[in-house]
Amino acid sequence: FFCDCEELQELLASVFTFLGLPGGRKVGWVGWRRRLLGRRRLKIGEDFTNTIPISSLTWELEGGNDPMSKKRRGEFSDFHGPPKKVIKVQKNESSIGSLAMSTRPRRVIERPPLTLQQAAEKRTCDSITPSRSSPVPVSDTQKLKNLPLKTSSLETAKKRNSISDDDIDSEDELRMMIAKEENLQRTTQSSINESENDPFEVVRDDFKSGIHKLHSLIGLGIKNNVSCHDSDDDIMRNDTEYDSGDTDEIIAMKKNVAKVKNSTEFSQMEKSTKKISLKNRENCELSDHCIKLQKRKSNVESALGHGLKSLNCKSPSNSGSSEDADSASELADSEGDEEYNAMMKNCLRVNLTLADLEQLAGSDLKVPNGDTESDGAETTTQCKFDRGSKSPKAPTCLRRGRQCIHPEKIMASLLEGEENTCGKQKPKENNLKPKFQAFKGVGCLYEKESMKKSLKDNVASSNINKDQNSMKHENPSIIPMEDGSPYVNGSSGKLTPCQHAKKANGPNYIQPQKRQTTFESQDRKAVSPSSSENRSTNPISRPLEGKKSLSLSAKTHNIGFDKDSCHSTTKTEASEEESSLTSLKKSPKVSSKDTGEIKTDFSLSVSNSSDLSAKGKHAEDNEKRLAALEARQKAKEAQKKLVHNALAKLDGHPEDKPTHIIFGSDSECETEETSTQEQSHPGEERVKESMGKTSGKLFDSSDDEESDSEDDSNRFKIKPQFEGRAGQKSHFGTDDRFRMDSRFLESNGEEEQEGKCFIVQSPDRSINTSTYSFAFHFKRFTSKGQHGPQLKKHLTCSSPRVQAFWNKAKRKKKREEAEKLPEVSKEMYYNIAMDLKEIFQTTKYTSEKEEDSPWNEDCGKEKPEEIQDPAALTSGAEQPSGFTFSFFDSDSKDIKEETYRVETVKPGKIVWQEDPRFQDSSSEEEDVTEETDHRKSTICFFAGIVHNLSQLYLIFYCCIGNHLSNNHLLTNTAIWSKLTTDC
Amino acid sequence: MRPLTEEETRVMFEKIAKYIGENLQLLVDRPDGTYCFRLHNDRVYYVSEKIMKLAANISGDKLVSLGTCFGKFTKTHKFRLHVTALDYLAPYAKYKVWIKPGAEQSFLYGNHVLKSGLGRITENTSQYQGVVVYSMADIPLGFGVAAKSTQDCRKVDPMAIVVFHQADVGEYVRHEETLT
Repeated sequence: FFCDCEELQELLASVFTFLGLPGGRKVGWVGWRRRLLGRRRLKIGEDFTNTIPISSLTWELEGGNDPMSKKRRGEFSDFHGPPKKVIKVQKNESSIGSLAMSTRPRRVIERPPLTLQQAAEKRTCDSITPSRSSPVPVSDTQKLKNLPLKTSSLETAKKRNSISDDDIDSEDELRMMIAKEENLQRTTQSSINESENDPFEVVRDDFKSGIHKLHSLIGLGIKNNVSCHDSDDDIMRNDTEYDSGDTDEIIAMKKNVAKVKNSTEFSQMEKSTKKISLKNRENCELSDHCIKLQKRKSNVESALGHGLKSLNCKSPSNSGSSEDADSASELADSEGDEEYNAMMKNCLRVNLTLADLEQLAGSDLKVPNGDTESDGAETTTQCKFDRGSKSPKAPTCLRRGRQCIHPEKIMASLLEGEENTCGKQKPKENNLKPKFQAFKGVGCLYEKESMKKSLKDNVASSNINKDQNSMKHENPSIIPMEDGSPYVNGSSGKLTPCQHAKKANGPNYIQPQKRQTTFESQDRKAVSPSSSENRSTNPISRPLEGKKSLSLSAKTHNIGFDKDSCHSTTKTEASEEESSLTSLKKSPKVSSKDTGEIKTDFSLSVSNSSDLSAKGKHAEDNEKRLAALEARQKAKEAQKKLVHNALAKLDGHPEDKPTHIIFGSDSECETEETSTQEQSHPGEERVKESMGKTSGKLFDSSDDEESDSEDDSNRFKIKPQFEGRAGQKSHFGTDDRFRMDSRFLESNGEEEQEGKCFIVQSPDRSINTSTYSFAFHFKRFTSKGQHGPQLKKHLTCSSPRVQAFWNKAKRKKKREEAEKLPEVSKEMYYNIAMDLKEIFQTTKYTSEKEEDSPWNEDCGKEKPEEIQDPAALTSGAEQPSGFTFSFFDSDSKDIKEETYRVETVKPGKIVWQEDPRFQDSSSEEEDVTEETDHRKSTICFFAGIVHNLSQLYLIFYCCIGNHLSNNHLLTNTAIWSKLTTDC
Repeated sequence: MRPLTEEETRVMFEKIAKYIGENLQLLVDRPDGTYCFRLHNDRVYYVSEKIMKLAANISGDKLVSLGTCFGKFTKTHKFRLHVTALDYLAPYAKYKVWIKPGAEQSFLYGNHVLKSGLGRITENTSQYQGVVVYSMADIPLGFGVAAKSTQDCRKVDPMAIVVFHQADVGEYVRHEETLT
């Protein structure tokens, strides 16, 4: 064949080339071969396409749908196996419902073509199809039952994702789902016949799950009834069916009672019958199971006997109990959202339910027949709580009706109510439901109070003695007064649900009421003496203590305080007595109390209407709040009054002050007594003491003022002390300018001393030691740099005050010295004169002899005048002048001493040196000296020159005044000294 | 954060009233304090007055959430309840559906409730009535809309959907990032 072909090819090629057709050579052998073969295959394909598709030939294998073969091919199903529980349930369903089974094959038939189509379409994407495209399901029931579930899960997963984006409204989504479901229903409509055997349970809207019944019964210790707690076979069957439910129940059974209670409470919350609690449920249950209870009555009573008291009450009939349940449900609905309180009150409810149970157990013995008939009549799952259905939703059933509620209607009503009250308050509903009523003012509070009172009085009259009764009368008047305290609030908050529970119990549950109320009263006993009573007494009694302590005298004070202490410690009765006893000034407080009592009495007088119970908490709370407000206001007023009275007494009776002062002085012994007795009292005592002290201080201050006024004169006496060493201690006022440093004081003291000495001694010319010391000091001042600025400062500070001070000091010292001088000056004078003897013997003696006493007198008189005059003239510049004099003298003395020792010729200097003194002091003697010696005249001339110069200097300095700086002064003095020395 | 407008309030109340009916009043008119609805970031929060006042101190852009989110308004101004409202809907629910333990997981994954998973249903539940879905142990799992009335549920195919899923507590995990 191939050879032929080659030959043919060659022939063809030659033919093509001969003909000149294109591609003859170019195609070549391979190309021809391909062409030929392709033609052949095409022919073959045309033959077989009509019969069998290639894909089916290649892919469709026998037995390929087995899971094992799929796995061999590497095809694994994407979906996990369904949970076993589902399988089990559905198997059970399949086993139960035979008709339902019949529907399934139809579905199976319907499904595969669809899946096959999908498979044909999605041949390429093989991941999902194998599971879906199972044309021959191995496990029919499982897969096909789970299949719609899976598809729905896929759809919802997609939908969820879209919903999470939240652009699609739930309504639209719902519509889509509904449409889908309708489509699906249409397809399966024919198959759906009656599948009433499907094990779901239809319950009423007030249904409480069997678990809770079970729990409640378990909690009550009636485990024997657990297995047969329900007359419904359906539920029993369900319970047996639900393995997990059974396990849950078993687990729950093993839990403790408290948890069971919580779960029951939770179920109550779900049912929106908040406060109905176990009682009502057990009413229902027990009415349903009364027969069984009847059968097992002995067991029940043995089980319950330990937890219950003897039945002494008014054992209610069954109808009565249902009525009670109705009323209780009304009241209980009024409690609304008190889940938390309901949870908190579990313990009490256990007792109540036990009591109720026993009562009902006893009552069911009497009237069991109706229940059995009713239960027996209802063979279906519905209405197993026909009795119970009355109770929980009794108020709502009136309104609600059997049909479901159209939300539009409700919302219309709601919105109308909203429009009336701007926002969310809907009083319109109050007409329908009186359980939540708005605050209506104080009037309802009285009614509420009366309600409370009546309940308490009932209890109190039954078994509580008068003390407790009085307690209860007083406590509500006190507790709201002290409403501000959180503890009391908490206690009241705790108490209110009890009261509600009481109310909910109704009249037939008096025994548990009693129990509750006794508990309550005990609780109040426990609470009130500790917190409320103390707090009530404290604000009352303490101001009273204060008032008493302020008002009463010291003798009665301690007694009163003892009373108060007793008051604080004793209980309410004692406090009442005390309050009545000490009602003198307690009038505001007592009035408040009285008003409270009056209120309660008034409220007691108000008739006890049954509707009040519905008003419930709001009224109580408002009442408490108002009472607390009143109490606060009154307390404030009372405090104000107390303070006002106290102040008025303090201010209005000044004659008490001396008594206070006397007590203040005497109170020391009293405080010793009182301090042993009381602790809070010493505060007042301290106040009193402080008052006494202050009063004493006041008097002291007045004395001080007097003494100050006296001291004003003495100040001038004290001032001279600055001059001496004693002046160092004394202050020169608080002014910083006059604050004296230690250095300043030292130096100044020395200066003062030396200045004083100089001033004193200079006229007498007894300057040897003093001038030396002064010269030394002056050198020290000038030499030491540290003293330089101080000196400058000191000199600049030689303000008129200081000058005046200096002048004063000088004057005084001179006066003093002048008085003393005559004795001293004589000696000094003689000493000086001794020096002069050698030179001026005759003159001296004559002068002395002639003018001894008058000269001395003149010296004593004139010198101060002379010194005063320049001081008066040159007030600012007097001291430097004096200083210059001293400087001059000191220098002159030094020079004199030196010259006197070295040169004997110079005594003339001494003469003219002394001349200024003598000229100042005794100008009369000039005549004598001029006459005596010619040199003396020359000296006097020089002295006159010098004197003139000095006066010139003084004048010059006066002209310049204080404006001259110290440097100028010093330089001037230096020039002056130079001049003098040169002269 | 602002109070709802009247229209918003109406829409939201209509939605809530589908589940709890007139018990909605109990949410609004609470004896333990004043509670109100506030709109923040298109979400409606149910918040006590006290907390609302406290939250007023926080600037709007910084405030993530306050109180309890009840749901959100869609862009078409419809209200969508979130699962966070379940705690308030469950105690007051009027129509309930209990699902079997085997169907719990399916429901908590966001699937509808089939008849086969229906354990118990309140009687007289009408079609498209809002229902709260409980487990058989009375644990609220979510809420939905009844696809069938109670009577229809008796007849319906076991695979038929009886409750359309609206929200379930599994969203706390699945939509953790969007729930506030």
